[in-house]
Amino acid sequence: MKTETLLDHKAEIIKITQETGVNLNIKTFRYRFLDEEIRKNFTFRPGQFMMVTIDGIGEAPFGFASSPTQKDYIELSVKNVGLVTNAIHNLKVGDIIGVRGPYGNGFPVEETIGKNIVFIGGGIGLAPLRSLINYVLDEEKRKQFGNVQLLNAFRSPDDLIFKYDYDKWENSPDTIVKYTIDEPCEKWDYCVGFPHTLLKDELNCELQNTKYFTCGPPIMIKFVTEELKNLNIDPADIITTLEMRMSCGVGKCGKCNIGHYYVCKDGPVFTLEQLGEMPDEY
Amino acid sequence: MLKVMNEKELKQFIDKLNNDYKVAAPVKKQQGKQEILEYDYIEEFEEIHLEEQPDKSPKEFFLPQNEVLDPEAIAKSNPEENKTIIFGVRSCDIEALRVFDDVFLDDTYVDPYYEKRRDNTIIIGYSCPHREPTCFCDQLGISPHENKLADLYLYKFDDKYWIKSINEDSEKLIKDLADGDEDLFDEKLKNKKDNFGESDFKFNMETPIPEEKAFNAPIWDDIAEKCLGCGVCTYYCPTCFCFNFFFDEDDKENQKYRSWDSCMFSLFTKHASGHNPRETQGQRWRQRLMHKFSYHPQNYGGLSCVGCGRCVKKCPVTLDIREALKSTEEYLKDEGGAVVED
Repeated sequence: MKTETLLDHKAEIIKITQETGVNLNIKTFRYRFLDEEIRKNFTFRPGQFMMVTIDGIGEAPFGFASSPTQKDYIELSVKNVGLVTNAIHNLKVGDIIGVRGPYGNGFPVEETIGKNIVFIGGGIGLAPLRSLINYVLDEEKRKQFGNVQLLNAFRSPDDLIFKYDYDKWENSPDTIVKYTIDEPCEKWDYCVGFPHTLLKDELNCELQNTKYFTCGPPIMIKFVTEELKNLNIDPADIITTLEMRMSCGVGKCGKCNIGHYYVCKDGPVFTLEQLGEMPDEY
Repeated sequence: MLKVMNEKELKQFIDKLNNDYKVAAPVKKQQGKQEILEYDYIEEFEEIHLEEQPDKSPKEFFLPQNEVLDPEAIAKSNPEENKTIIFGVRSCDIEALRVFDDVFLDDTYVDPYYEKRRDNTIIIGYSCPHREPTCFCDQLGISPHENKLADLYLYKFDDKYWIKSINEDSEKLIKDLADGDEDLFDEKLKNKKDNFGESDFKFNMETPIPEEKAFNAPIWDDIAEKCLGCGVCTYYCPTCFCFNFFFDEDDKENQKYRSWDSCMFSLFTKHASGHNPRETQGQRWRQRLMHKFSYHPQNYGGLSCVGCGRCVKKCPVTLDIREALKSTEEYLKDEGGAVVED
């Protein structure tokens, strides 16, 4: 039994990274709790989310973009789309935000131990996957998992995010990293096309002993999961994470349900098998 | 423990309670030319109106329409030594607290604001004097006559008031009153039940209503055709608890406010991106009905409609949840199943 005051803990922004150009404004914010006790004891699972409060403006849910193996700080990546995200984008290093959480179920990390992993991320959807990617590719964790394949999809070369991670990802043992953009472009030597069109030829989609994690725009999730199903992947092995408008994050405020499931509490991570049993209302 | 009083003794009993505790009860309030019957703290017994269904349920005592989320303030305003007694609550509104308990005292995350108010409140139920044409609690397995979720229960037979304790804690409140004759009470209660009548509306569905079938039923746009999306049904509903947070830019203390929200509003589910999972009023009506008759029962066991009929009474365009339930039932019947045969 846990008491939930729905109130935030203060945290300080310690680094801001501009990820993309002006067309798709994504920034990554590194923060640290002010309270040393909280800083020391705060734990989360990849795939869980936090509620971020900007005083006087509002509150919104964000998936953790950093791995829990990174103990010194936490990161969130934010695309500027609305009131709260715009306020976050206006923050400077040293500014204070409110954070509460972690909430939600998180990715099935234990079930993935010993398995091969395929990550298919699109745009800002790569942020929640990065938490798990950096967990799996962490030097101390790497040997617990099989081979890893990444397909990172972006609109254009200007829209790449987490570029500073790519060397580490590509140099991890038994790891293949591929990149794709929507349309051909000069000086682009990687794949071209929507990710679902590349699964068959660019990745080795094994039927057994492999977990597939995908996140991106809703339309991308739909096409990628459908294509994986067409490749005879078991829907229980296809895992995605959903976004919904939420206020509380703890299954009470009544906004994020899909049928009787609450995305905040029963999700945000669902398998395609679960999604198949849920009403089409997300 | 069973006790009996005449009206004068009831007045003395309530006045004494109001000395030791804070008593709230249905009182009339003038709002323009209208009289509204709602729960509020009383000064004296004469203010209380027991015979009509209050316009509002006492849910604001547990989940205020607006509140500042401040654990210290709530502890201060709800001292253990000064409990609130809510007097004269009908069975439907008492049953609604079961729904609130399901959600706000849920093991995973307990809401400390609700918990404090709930712990600090004593409920004295009132056995329903008569059925309103809009009432249908009896169809949802709720007795209008008594409800075990209260602490004490008051019954009026002829000119006498009978009061019964439901738990040991509340016995001390009535121990000084005159004892009532159990057999006579049982006979009078049976007589009341026999003459009370039943709801004309009959609820014949198995619950939880089957999610997939009812969700995909082509009935929702027709049900919601007239709906204005004003949210009145949800504000008056004793079981509706959806909420939102607000922040005030000018508030130097940066307080966080919690306010009622409504699934009938178009912005309720709208994402910052512009995407809205529930774009039409039909989808929102489906959410309201399915939450009460399918989703909540699947998650917590019991229905989250108590049949008080306020949404029917208060709807400005006379939408009627009983009609919506009938449409659902007819559709499910045609699809074969999920309906209890008489």
